[in-house]
Amino acid sequence: MIEEPYRWVEAIANRREYIETQLASGSPIVALGYRDGILFLTLGQTRQKIFEIYNRIAMGAIGHPGDIERLRMAAIELASTEGFTRSAADVSLRRLVHYSLSPVMKGAFEQVYGAPYLARMLFAEVGDWPQEDLFLRVDYDGEIASNGATFAQARRDFAVLSGIRQSSELMESFLKVEHSSEAAFEAALKSALDAWSIGHMTLQTSDTKELPERAAITKYRQEQLAKTGIEAGILERNDSQAIRYRVLLDKELRALIHE
Amino acid sequence: MTLDPHFAGVADDFSALLRRKGLLATAALAPTPVVPTPQQKLWQPTEATTILAFKFSGGVLVAGDRRATAGNTVVYDRADKVLEIDRHSIMAIAGVPATAWEMARVLEHSFQYFRRTQLQEMSVDGKVRALSKLLRDNFGFVMQGVGVVVPIFATYDGNSKPEARLYFYDAMGAQFEATDYAATGSGSPAVRGILYYENNWGAKPLQKTSEDEATSIALRALDTAAESDTSTGGVDRSGKIYPLIKIVSREGIRTLPESKIAAVFKETVA
Repeated sequence: MIEEPYRWVEAIANRREYIETQLASGSPIVALGYRDGILFLTLGQTRQKIFEIYNRIAMGAIGHPGDIERLRMAAIELASTEGFTRSAADVSLRRLVHYSLSPVMKGAFEQVYGAPYLARMLFAEVGDWPQEDLFLRVDYDGEIASNGATFAQARRDFAVLSGIRQSSELMESFLKVEHSSEAAFEAALKSALDAWSIGHMTLQTSDTKELPERAAITKYRQEQLAKTGIEAGILERNDSQAIRYRVLLDKELRALIHE
Repeated sequence: MTLDPHFAGVADDFSALLRRKGLLATAALAPTPVVPTPQQKLWQPTEATTILAFKFSGGVLVAGDRRATAGNTVVYDRADKVLEIDRHSIMAIAGVPATAWEMARVLEHSFQYFRRTQLQEMSVDGKVRALSKLLRDNFGFVMQGVGVVVPIFATYDGNSKPEARLYFYDAMGAQFEATDYAATGSGSPAVRGILYYENNWGAKPLQKTSEDEATSIALRALDTAAESDTSTGGVDRSGKIYPLIKIVSREGIRTLPESKIAAVFKETVA
């Protein structure tokens, strides 16, 4: 197959299509940098999707649980040994993703005789200031998307993850308008729930190109919240503790949701 | 940071992970005691001394003097022997700080690694056992005469039966749960005497003492230990160096500010 480049390209394209189909139903995950930290949020109670990686790093993932688990363990192992041998300050998300995870995922994806990682992951690292928050999305083929400014777009204080592109794009265009890094926790929580609702609605009707009406978003959010639980965690900006990650319980969040 | 592409995804215990990566020193399997010839002066490792802990009304108080010695030389007068391992656990050390600080580092990372990989907090028994295993692994160095560590471990068990728990160890890793108090290090015989006396015939049992009373007892005990043990710093009155005191309770760990210790010292000890 290697001698026939066309067949290799075809095999990769098939594989991409297969993985995209597998990931398509993945429920969205939202990560928002707000005044006091970074909020990770999703809805659903089937299995845990938001995880602590290291002192300042957390991750959300969709995909096959087995693959997510392998990548999660690898990330924790790398960060922990780095933090142990050098210092916690030397553990950097940028290095973890760019030099460790991405090459391995790309390698597995392109070796058409081996199994690829069926996973899409969203990492965030909390900074001392909102401008220093880093969000990196890593795809099954090792592709990395960051929240940094490019020629085409300004820097963002959020990142999202979803099963299909249309869903994450609509969530992003919503958050670009609605969310600000100066937001307090309650405002960030509301934006996150609304963005999740938009992303999840789009999974069912993938041909929508427009943001749904605000009333429709609120209605959908209320319906979903009545049916299922919230999974959330925060990376706190407060530097009095070395370990910044904290799980937020469904119960404590519901008390803060009003409409 | 490089990732093993054949990574199996099996979470082992953190010290096993370090050993697999060649990052943890292991002691020689057949320890050879160092016997100096008459011309040779025996090399003396730096040692830290005299730590104590006891339960009082507000949790567990853990205190340590600040002196580190090598033989009869004072190496350092501001050594930190009371180390925070996680939000609710303290390891206090007597013995060789080089080994002890490394152990504290391994322990700290082990607890966090366990929580992150297994998605649950390690139990108190698991934590107590983890330190025991580190001591056991270190025994080769102890037999070679370098690297003896005799720690105290204090933690708050928030799970089964919420209460403060206190353990002390021997150099081989045997753990003993203390009901009221523990002390290790060269100045500990005096300290144990005082704590035993206070607990039985003092104004009230240790577990009933207030924070200020407990602080005062800890300072008096360390000062008494320093009186007869040259390796114990006690309270340096001229240099204004006070013992380090931390408190473990349901809320977490609190370090008593030096000003507070100085005030209690001035009022009840000096």
